[in-house]
Amino acid sequence: MNVSKGTPRVEIESTQSGVEAEQRLPRRGLLAAGIGGAAVSLLPFFSGRASATTPPATDESTTTTAPPRRPTDDDVALLAAALQIELTVEGLYRQAISAVAGWTEAQAALMTTLRQAHLAYSNSLSGLLGKSAPSTRSEELFAEWESSFSGSTDDVLAKAADLESSLVATHLDVLAKLQGTNGAALVASIQVAEARHVTALRHLAGVTDEAELLVDEEAASLLGAG
Amino acid sequence: MSNETNPTPQVSASFDRRGLFRIGGLTIATAAVLAACGDPASSAGELGRVGNGAPNPELPEGKVNDGVLLRTSASFETSIADAYQRMIDDGLLAAASATFPDLGDQTELVTGFVDQHRKAAETYNQLALEAGAAEPFTCGNPRLDSAFIDPIFERVLNGAPATDTAKEIAPSEDPTRDMVNLVVTLELLSAATAQALVPQVSQASYRAEAMRLGTRSARQGALMSLHINPDGYVTETDLLNANPAASTTVASTTTVQDIAQPETGDTTAPPAPPPTEIPVPVALPSQYGSLAAITYIGGAGDENGVRLKLNFETPSLNSLTYDFTTCE
Repeated sequence: MNVSKGTPRVEIESTQSGVEAEQRLPRRGLLAAGIGGAAVSLLPFFSGRASATTPPATDESTTTTAPPRRPTDDDVALLAAALQIELTVEGLYRQAISAVAGWTEAQAALMTTLRQAHLAYSNSLSGLLGKSAPSTRSEELFAEWESSFSGSTDDVLAKAADLESSLVATHLDVLAKLQGTNGAALVASIQVAEARHVTALRHLAGVTDEAELLVDEEAASLLGAG
Repeated sequence: MSNETNPTPQVSASFDRRGLFRIGGLTIATAAVLAACGDPASSAGELGRVGNGAPNPELPEGKVNDGVLLRTSASFETSIADAYQRMIDDGLLAAASATFPDLGDQTELVTGFVDQHRKAAETYNQLALEAGAAEPFTCGNPRLDSAFIDPIFERVLNGAPATDTAKEIAPSEDPTRDMVNLVVTLELLSAATAQALVPQVSQASYRAEAMRLGTRSARQGALMSLHINPDGYVTETDLLNANPAASTTVASTTTVQDIAQPETGDTTAPPAPPPTEIPVPVALPSQYGSLAAITYIGGAGDENGVRLKLNFETPSLNSLTYDFTTCE
């Protein structure tokens, strides 16, 4: 005896003819058809998602290779040379400030500010290099310029301007070879300031020629000189 | 009472459980057919829509590469040159300045700056082509022109009209002062733009060439600063840090200063400009090259005395001249 609720299954089935029963899809078939239909209807959606996450194969604008940030081994040698040069220049300023007599207030202010700046540049480069940083100046370069940083104050200002111009050329050389962007960014920030040093020193020394003040002819690079 | 005593033998088989399955399956199958055969957009993976509304506009994708960065630097240089040319054409650098009475005519100096910035723009564009840009960018930077340079000229030369909430602002009381200060600002911007490019481009040769141009702009800014403020070499902060009084300088007697007496040094030097809220430029504005915003203050004050104040910044995403940016 069937005790299920609703319509007795046996009785309902008994009303169907044999032909109708054969033409109807079985329940499993219906379920399969429904799931299949759902899958087909969702195909475009899934295919769209898949294509959206795939980058175009012919995108040429993203092929730029990012440069390294940290200094490479070659960079370390270049930055160490720049550091030694900055230490040497700081020493030259220090000696001139103490040894040359007759500084005016404005001259003393500029010279001590520039000495302090070169010391700061040395410290920054040293911080970037870490254990690889040299801690001594280039004695060869110091000896080469020492005699120039003497005489009258205007003589020293003129020579200091020439030296600053050489520093700008040196950093330009360094920038053309550096691969790591951290070192390049630091050198660029130093170079911009040292470019202004030349104009300020020559102006204070009484130079009025614009070509000299704007340095139409940059001095020679010091890279490899010491 | 049992279930057997109350049967419902006449329930039709037309809407039974099987029928529900059948209808559900047919509905899903029909949806699949419609999705596949309907709007072609559906085959591209887009969700279908009811009706035929206009598609969303597609914004061009801005890609930043060496070519875009170098084109942008070229556009900045062109904007600066155009601004200077406008000053020269309008005679704004030749007029006397009440703030800087000893300034003199700066037209010749700035004319030389125009040439330098035009050459710099050409150089940047050549580098951009080497870096793969499709074409050079030969006009000014749209963002720099519209948001900074044009408003400054407008405020300085014409003031600002009255609005519902603010009174009219008069033209500048000293346009020459505002223009030479703008020259210093734009030279600082040019140098900072070159410096900012260094860690962004991929090739060392681009960096070196950019800095060759940037150092020239830095010097031009320093020279113009010294024309405006002949004794202004360093900032107070840098001077304080350097502490020249504590150094071992062999000082001459001229360094003895009596602040109660007039200057005993070079009496031919022009007097320092009067102090205002407009900063007086110095030749060495910072110990390192700075990438911070460059503040420009100029024009006449509003009813509260507040002048136009703008912060110039190096190129960023909203001022880059992308590949799709054209000179129109």
